[in-house]
Order: sequence, then C-alpha cells, then structure tokens
Amino acid sequence: MFEFARYDARKRVRGSVYLSLGMSLLAAFAVWAYPSYSEAMDMNQLRDAFPEPMIRAFNIETMASLEGFLSVELYMFGWIILLGLYLAYSAASIVADDIDRGRMDTLLSMPVSRQRLATERFASLGVPILLVNVVTPVVVLVSARLIGESLSVADVLALHLLSVPYLFACAGIGLLASVVFDRASIAQRVALGVTFALYLVESLLRGTDYESLGALAPMRYFDPNAVLLDGTYDLAGAAVLVGMTAVLLFASQAWFVRRDI
Amino acid sequence: MGAIELDGLTKDYGEVLAAEDLTLSVETGEIFGYLGPNGAGKTTTIRMLLGFIKPTAGTARVLGNDIRDRKALIDAKRRIGHLSDDQAFDEQATGAEILDLHAAVKGGDRREELLEMFEPPLDRRVREYSSGNVQKLGLVTAFMHDPDLVILDEPTGGLDPLIKHQFAEFLRAERDRGVTVFLSSHILSEVRRLCDRVGIIRDGKLVTVDPIESFLTRSGKVVRINSADPIPIEFVDLEGVHDLETSVPDDETADPESEFTECTFTFTGDINALLARLPDHEMVDVSIEEAPLEDVFLRFYGGGEDV
Repeated sequence: MFEFARYDARKRVRGSVYLSLGMSLLAAFAVWAYPSYSEAMDMNQLRDAFPEPMIRAFNIETMASLEGFLSVELYMFGWIILLGLYLAYSAASIVADDIDRGRMDTLLSMPVSRQRLATERFASLGVPILLVNVVTPVVVLVSARLIGESLSVADVLALHLLSVPYLFACAGIGLLASVVFDRASIAQRVALGVTFALYLVESLLRGTDYESLGALAPMRYFDPNAVLLDGTYDLAGAAVLVGMTAVLLFASQAWFVRRDI
Repeated sequence: MGAIELDGLTKDYGEVLAAEDLTLSVETGEIFGYLGPNGAGKTTTIRMLLGFIKPTAGTARVLGNDIRDRKALIDAKRRIGHLSDDQAFDEQATGAEILDLHAAVKGGDRREELLEMFEPPLDRRVREYSSGNVQKLGLVTAFMHDPDLVILDEPTGGLDPLIKHQFAEFLRAERDRGVTVFLSSHILSEVRRLCDRVGIIRDGKLVTVDPIESFLTRSGKVVRINSADPIPIEFVDLEGVHDLETSVPDDETADPESEFTECTFTFTGDINALLARLPDHEMVDVSIEEAPLEDVFLRFYGGGEDV
C-alpha cells in the first residue's frame, strides 16, 4: 500500500521546498513592510482608501495592526488566493496529465485500482500543503519578533493548521477537473477558473441577496481575520472543508472508475 | 480454458465501430500474433482486455477473469505483463525510480536478469531516453514480475535489430516455460519470426485465425527477377503467380509481349518449382521476399478497400 503516494510525495519534495521558500519570502516581506507603512500613514485611512469591492474581495477588516495587515497581505492574498489556486492547478494534472501523455496505461497495467491510484496521488499533495504550513509560520513569528511586534503564537499556528483543510478542498476541485477532462491543459484551466470564480462568488456576493451561493466556496469556511484578530477558531468550518474534500475525492473516484481512458 | 478468451467483444464509439463482435481464444503457452494494419482495432482490443476502456457489448476473460469484474481484473494483473504501443513513463524520474515503483507494486524478481538483456540507462531521467530505451524499460516492466500472460502492443518498434533478435529468442524461451504471449503487430515479418498462431483483424473485424505456417503459405512471397538476356514469358507461367508485371529495357529489341528482362510477381506456389527454372537463364539479380502485409490483406481478405 501507499507506493504511489510515496513515489509522488518524493517527487513533490523539491517543488514544495521552493514553494515554502517563496511563501516565506512573501511573509517576511509583509512583516518587514508593516512598520514603514504604519509609520508613514494612518492605516485606518489606508483601509478606507481602498475601493469598496477591494475591501470586500480581500475581506479587509483592519490594517491598523500587524495581525490585520498580515491577514490581508499574506493570508488573503497568499494563502486563500495564491495557494488555493496553486493547489487546484497542481491537482488538476494528477490524472489528466498522465492520460494526456499516455502514462496512464502504464500505471494501470499494474495491479492497482483507479480509486487507490487517484487517492494516493491526491494524498501526496500533503507534502506541499504541510511543508508550506510548517515553514511559513516560523518565518512569520520570527520576523514579527525582529521588528518588535508580538503576535499570538497560538493564533498563527492555528491559522496555518486551519488552512490545511482549506487547501485540500481547493485541491479537490482540481482533482475533479483532472478526472473529467482528458487534457491536462484544459483540466488546469477549468480548475483555476472554478476556484477563482468560487472565490469571487464568496467575496463579492457577501451581504447581497445571493450570499447563499458562497456556501459552495471553500473560502467561506476559512477566515484569517477571525483567527488573527478575534482569536476564534472556526472548527465547524474546518469540518465542512474536510467534508467538502471527501465529497470531491469520492466524486472524482466515481467518475474516474467509470470512464474510458 | 484459454489464457485469453474474447467472446463477442465489441467497442462501438458511435461514429466508429472500433472492434466488432470479436471472438477468439488464445491457448495457454502459445505466442499469439494479433496482426492488422494501423487503425484496425488491435490497441482497442488490448485496452479492453486490460480494463482501460469498457466494451459496449460482449466480454472477454483474461486468465479466467471476466474483464467486466474490475476487482478480479486488478488481481489478475499481478500475473499479467503489458507493454503499450505508446509506452510512456514519468519523464522526471530515472529508469531506476520507475522500476522501483513497479517492483514495489507488483514484484520484481526478474529485474536484474532482464536488465542484463535490455540495458536501459537506469541512472538517466526518462526524458533523456531515446524511444528505443523507453521500449527497453517497458519490456523490463512487462516481464519483471514473472507474469503468466504477457500482452505486448507492437513490442519491437524502436528496437535495433540485435535487440530484436535477442527479444525474439527471449520470447520463445518464455513460451517454452509456459508463458502465454499475446502480441500485436502490423509487420508480417515480425509475427512470422515469433508467433505460433495469428489472428488477423481489419476494420475492427476478425478476419481469420490461422497457424502461422498456413498463413504464410497463403500470404505468399514477392519475387523480383532481373535477367541478363530476355526470358520468354512462359518462364513465369506457373501455378501460384499473381499480380505479374514484366518489362524490357527500351533499347532492347526484345518483344515486351512475349519476353522480359525484369519481372515482379507475388508467388503462393511451391518455391522449389520456381528455383528449378532459374539456372536456365543468366541472372543479374533475384530476390524473394515476404509479401507486404497490405498486399496480403488486399489479396485474401479485402478486395479493393483501403488498407
């Protein structure tokens, strides 16, 4: 068991290291930039200077504290958008790329069920997801200490922990696209498009009559502001994300098993 | 019970009937050639046998397992080796990493023995491989778990002649150990060297299943004769001469109606009868070759359709 997960996990290590370095740089830059911003201007004015759609899109509550600033600059942008899209995109090539390049016949000529193959390869996305969430909080906490700001260690760690089911749910969207479409390039575009559309639905329709549509979006169940500003951990939201991931995984398996390759 | 039994196996894509009501049985311990032009439905058949695509009608059994029973087929794959017609591996991985994965999943007792024979460059990444090396790596993965049944789709494409020869010997030795081989090809000479029986598929239909000897007798040879002096046309008035074409050089005084210096024909008669006539004339060149598969199809099975 787990031969495919191990194989794929090994293949993902190098990319995950680069990803973690990149996100750590973004984190360090955000922390480093905060004092010069907050000294140069009134951060409440800065927030109000953003156009309303942007305040909605980035769910900007406050920028007058390092927590609020990081919540927008690092977590809304870096985690919810960038990493969410990255994982949807990566997962989209799990099945489609192998079919596209004729490798799927070689894989399935081995005694392995399609369910197991898809699940193990999906699980290997745990490598980038976990690594980036282990390395970055250390960088955030250390660089906050360096600029003389104090962040709640528990809140930062909780935020990263809660982002794990969120990122798996985004990857689940990619996996589903990956089994539905034969061509990796199409699966990747669909995964990016759907994930970004869900993000827009959730953030732009909030407070409108169509707000309920956002219930389908993983972004509804992961709120960096709540964790960093209020110290509240949405465990129910995390459970919904786990359930969402499971549904996407089962749907992908069911589709993959029934289709011709 | 045969190692492979096709029972009305059909794949209908709507616009194309890729395989139509295929019924045949491959006996345990034989090398069965599945012969047909490109696009005839060979790969479609093989991909149904391995569960990659589902038949729209009929079924097949592989090592006794119905291919519609997904779980049984997956278990059976422990005893099946497969080489695809377009073999592809993870380009980022080295050959050794690929073999490690295969060994972990299905076993690799014969890995070293096979590597001595086929020698793909294990330390290099697959993206640097030539197509021949990909094929060699594929052959190692197909046989490393010591399967009882091997399904090979165009196995010798990309192999150089020396390796082809080794591969043929290896395959016969496997057959003698009791391994069943199902091998597809569009090259007649490849099949004749390797197979005990052949099934011919064309346009998705099984045309015939024959022992290789009777198939070769029926398929005939292409004979080309080039003589120094004109030969009377009666020379080739033999039983089994088809598609005769004769010519004389323009500057000769010979009569093209009754004589020739060059001729080409397909010969399905007794080759000794033909050879006995040759010493009567001064020959510049004589060649006797296997008939191209396309011609065989046209003559015996096809009429004037495109092949």
